[in-house]
Amino acid sequence: MLSYVYMKLLEGRPESYDRRMDRLSRGRVRAAKRALADEVPRGSQVLEIGCGAGELACKLLERGCIVLGFDASAAMVEAAQAHVADGGLQGFEARQMGVEAMDQLPAARFDAVVSTLVFSELSDDERRYALAQAARVLRPGGLLLVADEVWPRARARRWLHGAARAPLALSAYLVSRSSSRPLEDLPTELASLGFELLEERRSQGDAFCLVVGRLGEAGSS
Amino acid sequence: MNLLKSVWSWLFRLFPCPTELGLRALGQPGADSPVLVTCNFHGTVQRLRRALCGHDVWLLVAQSKGVNVWCAAGGDELNTDSVVSALKTSGLERKLEHRRLILPPLAAPGVSASELAERTGWKPRWGPVRAADLPRYLADGCQRSEPMKRVTYDWKERLDTGLGSLFPFYLFGALLFLAFRSAWLPHYLLAGAASFLAFMLLCPWLPGRAGFVKALALDLVLGAGWLANELLLGWSWLGTGLLFALVATMVWGSELGGLSSTLRSEFDPMAARMGIGAIGNTRFAGTLRTDLLIGKRALVCERSQCSGCRACHEICPLGLWRLDEERKPVQRDARACTACTACVKQCPSGALQAWPASPDSSDSVS
Repeated sequence: MLSYVYMKLLEGRPESYDRRMDRLSRGRVRAAKRALADEVPRGSQVLEIGCGAGELACKLLERGCIVLGFDASAAMVEAAQAHVADGGLQGFEARQMGVEAMDQLPAARFDAVVSTLVFSELSDDERRYALAQAARVLRPGGLLLVADEVWPRARARRWLHGAARAPLALSAYLVSRSSSRPLEDLPTELASLGFELLEERRSQGDAFCLVVGRLGEAGSS
Repeated sequence: MNLLKSVWSWLFRLFPCPTELGLRALGQPGADSPVLVTCNFHGTVQRLRRALCGHDVWLLVAQSKGVNVWCAAGGDELNTDSVVSALKTSGLERKLEHRRLILPPLAAPGVSASELAERTGWKPRWGPVRAADLPRYLADGCQRSEPMKRVTYDWKERLDTGLGSLFPFYLFGALLFLAFRSAWLPHYLLAGAASFLAFMLLCPWLPGRAGFVKALALDLVLGAGWLANELLLGWSWLGTGLLFALVATMVWGSELGGLSSTLRSEFDPMAARMGIGAIGNTRFAGTLRTDLLIGKRALVCERSQCSGCRACHEICPLGLWRLDEERKPVQRDARACTACTACVKQCPSGALQAWPASPDSSDSVS
């Protein structure tokens, strides 16, 4: 759990973010990104919300996808571009922007929208807005794949998780002035936007989740 | 929990105390009610709630990383992007029939009103500096009187910000005494509190501009008192207390520069001069603010570009800009400028610029 504090510090060092995160999480974050990438059909047009240092983008590019990634941090965007270039991969565009600029993206353009460990960092308004925009930019039948921290379902486990992360979240906030909150009920939110839930894969003590939703053929509701 | 956060955000305001972003309805606002923008520092939101009790307004809380408006805008945590994001993601436009926004003027170093209008189509205007003036500002049809535009630092404000920012240092000292010399704790508590009150109340009349110079001045008086006690009275409790007060006063003085928007930052230029370019993501050297403070750059008005819009005059928290007979800005007292850079940020034509300081720059206004 100490990695949570360190993760916030690492965001100030984008060039080594993925490598250090992988070491700290004992490979779990990398495995989650691999699992998410495997769910994306080969050759898809993909939008990545919060591309970070580009690890997931590289996995998608290796699957022949065309990826547009964006991140609020200019340093992360630079690191992602360098990461992709180092791998000799093609088909990646990175933009520095926040979720509020998603309304600038064309509607019904992407086959998949992906995101890892981003929605838990957004406010409620920002998350709802980003999900609505994701539905808007997806083609009918497109996939939304989100891997993120969630609240465990069992009450006791939920309480324990909250108690364990509270001091760490506070420490991280004092150090980095940013924090995250586990997601509450993503599947219900997706359903309200016209997504059909295809998968909800829980791991790490029920506190991490990969959610896959498919947008209805009628598009966003 | 709310009370705990309020106490924390008052006594430990050095630390961020975030509150949820987004739209709050104060009272029962409707489609034509005013919209006020603020930061997501809990203490600020609570202060606005109290000031606007009985009014029907929308409060739009924008991202400032849990820091107050002035500090967040100066550190670029509260900026144009924060407000654009809050406007778009809150769904505010669906609730309103107008597009008028009231911005806190102390956000001016970070939030560009002209850029905000251009990017969103909303019409921003500046509100009063103090939350307490909001009821009158709203009653007057959102017109600002001259005092509503300018910051002050009276004795109540000095005690409020002083207590809020210096209490952690006071507490830290108390914990040290508790752990290592508990017999001296009462001396420390009394001396610390008395020196705080003396320094904050006498501050405007102590000689010097920098906080540590003012502290040294007060320490001279305290030192004389200590010497007199040693020579004449020999009361050990008084001697110990005066020594503690001497040290505590230097702490209060070293922090003074960060307490008010009327005062220059002392830490940033000191760090830059010592070669400390940045700590974490916070930069000191090479910023416009620091360069202005250390005299590396100076504000220059490109008179040919200036439209005479008065934005600099309106936004300067100290009211340092006046317009000459050609309606071009002239700074009245450059030494009083805190280099907040609000005027540069709000200049819509880019006429106010920072140039490398040189003795022969005739247009220099600082």
